[in-house]
Amino acid sequence: MNDHTQPVADAGPSMSGLQARSSAKLNSVARISVRNLDFVYAEGLPKALKGINLDIPDRQVTGMIGPSGCGKSTLLRVLNRMYSLYPGQKAMGEVMMDGRNLIDAGVDINELRSKIGMVFQKPTPFPMTIYENIAFGVRLHEKLSKSQMDQRVEWALSRAAIWGEVKDRLNTNAMGLSGGQQQRLCIARTIAVRPEVILFDEPTSALDPISTLKIEELIDELKQDFTIVIVTHNMQQAARCADQVAFFYLGELIEVSPAAEMFTAPKEQKTQEYITGRFG
Amino acid sequence: MSTTTATIMASRNIEQQRSLGRRRKFVDKLVMYFCLTATVVGLFFLLSIMGTLLWRGLIALDLIVLTQEFQPTRYGDDSLPKGGLIHAIVGSLIQTSIATAIGTPIGLLVGTYLSEYAGKSKFGYAVRFISDILLSAPSVLIGLFIYQLVVLPQGGFSGFAGALALAIIVIPVVVRTTEDMLQLIPNTLREAVVALGAPKWKMITLVAWRAAISGIMTGILLAFARIMGETAPLLLTSFGNNILSTDLSRAMASLPVSIYQQANSGFPDLIDIAWSGALLVTLGVLFINIIARVALRKRA
Repeated sequence: MNDHTQPVADAGPSMSGLQARSSAKLNSVARISVRNLDFVYAEGLPKALKGINLDIPDRQVTGMIGPSGCGKSTLLRVLNRMYSLYPGQKAMGEVMMDGRNLIDAGVDINELRSKIGMVFQKPTPFPMTIYENIAFGVRLHEKLSKSQMDQRVEWALSRAAIWGEVKDRLNTNAMGLSGGQQQRLCIARTIAVRPEVILFDEPTSALDPISTLKIEELIDELKQDFTIVIVTHNMQQAARCADQVAFFYLGELIEVSPAAEMFTAPKEQKTQEYITGRFG
Repeated sequence: MSTTTATIMASRNIEQQRSLGRRRKFVDKLVMYFCLTATVVGLFFLLSIMGTLLWRGLIALDLIVLTQEFQPTRYGDDSLPKGGLIHAIVGSLIQTSIATAIGTPIGLLVGTYLSEYAGKSKFGYAVRFISDILLSAPSVLIGLFIYQLVVLPQGGFSGFAGALALAIIVIPVVVRTTEDMLQLIPNTLREAVVALGAPKWKMITLVAWRAAISGIMTGILLAFARIMGETAPLLLTSFGNNILSTDLSRAMASLPVSIYQQANSGFPDLIDIAWSGALLVTLGVLFINIIARVALRKRA
């Protein structure tokens, strides 16, 4: 469980090159196990995911990479059942967590989503105050006193490394924050619900480099307590953040390896072509 | 393939290009002047209506108009009491307020249904279509409908029937703006709410409505402004009244109907009062429009 002791400082989330900083062994305990997962967006359409098998290790960062339309975001949206919002979209197979198949019809979706949080590509602050943004999700699942809620809000904002910037304006509208701050607010909002897993769907693609760096540092910080899955278009980001990387192509999982291996010695021809920039 | 790049390039006709250029500039100017002329014509009519309204409306507008009930014509005899429009002002406010209070929640929920639940279903299309027809239906038809449905069975005109007719005009306006405003909300915001484990109804009531509130409020205010000026449906439902009455089960006065009746009377003093009434309605509508704009800007 103590895998995050590798020296982070020397490499850090560096902005240069494809150096994977994690050479430590992957956590062998899978938090979520995906088995033979198929997915279709509508009846009659070709499968968007074909027979996916993937273990998501506990309290580590799993990066999902691949060209547009390869299925990485689709898989992410299966994990928290986001696809259930859209009639017609269908997942078949197994997504096991705590002995339950998450894609079973009987699963309480709202409870599931309190355990598996999600941060989106574009910052999505709610049209309310900063405080209310954080309290909103907490109130859905817990009844807290005012002081408990204050504590929770401070804790979540601190964990998301934004407390210092907003503590004096908790009662102002969250729409007034900068893009990077909004994204950290969204991360705080997700953390506040105390999920076990956090899904990041290209969380920095709408942000500037400085904000990106902050989010990446944050992700590195958060994996002490949360299992993290991050979809990214940016291979450097995957190299910097992820312990394990999964490469998707045309709806199939081509290769899954520890980040260090994936970017230095990929097993598959396709992976090598992608990470060296020959397509994608 | 005899056309090489060289021959294509060499065939550039400078003279032709110049004449095309001149033509382009001419058409460019022409289109701008057409637009400008149309704007001036439209503005002229608008300003002349406003000017006439202001000029004629101010002749009779005084405290009596704002505080007294209807009085018959004075035939130029100034010793007779001058009449006012308070009965119509109060009647209009009562009927439009009740109509808005009835029409808004229905319109809001229908608009929400169309945007958040109906999706591409056939039923959704049907509701949207019917609502749009209702939006542009001649309002006299709505008056006739309420006349058949409420006035005849009740055995008489009533302020309530008037409010009901106006409510039917409010509904499609609120339906359309609610749906349009909710559609403007990015889907990722909906997903972000749901991703926290919120059920759909909380997503709609706590976040989506809040994100769309300024637009929806604007729609409600515009609907309110629209029914303030409606005459035809009220003629057939609340009919009009010459005395101040707040009894919803009896005939009730309203500004548009009073304007219609007094302007038709043929007596100059009553016609002047009708102009004052028209000015009051216009100012009311203007006022509401300004509020709506300010509300919209504040949120944006």
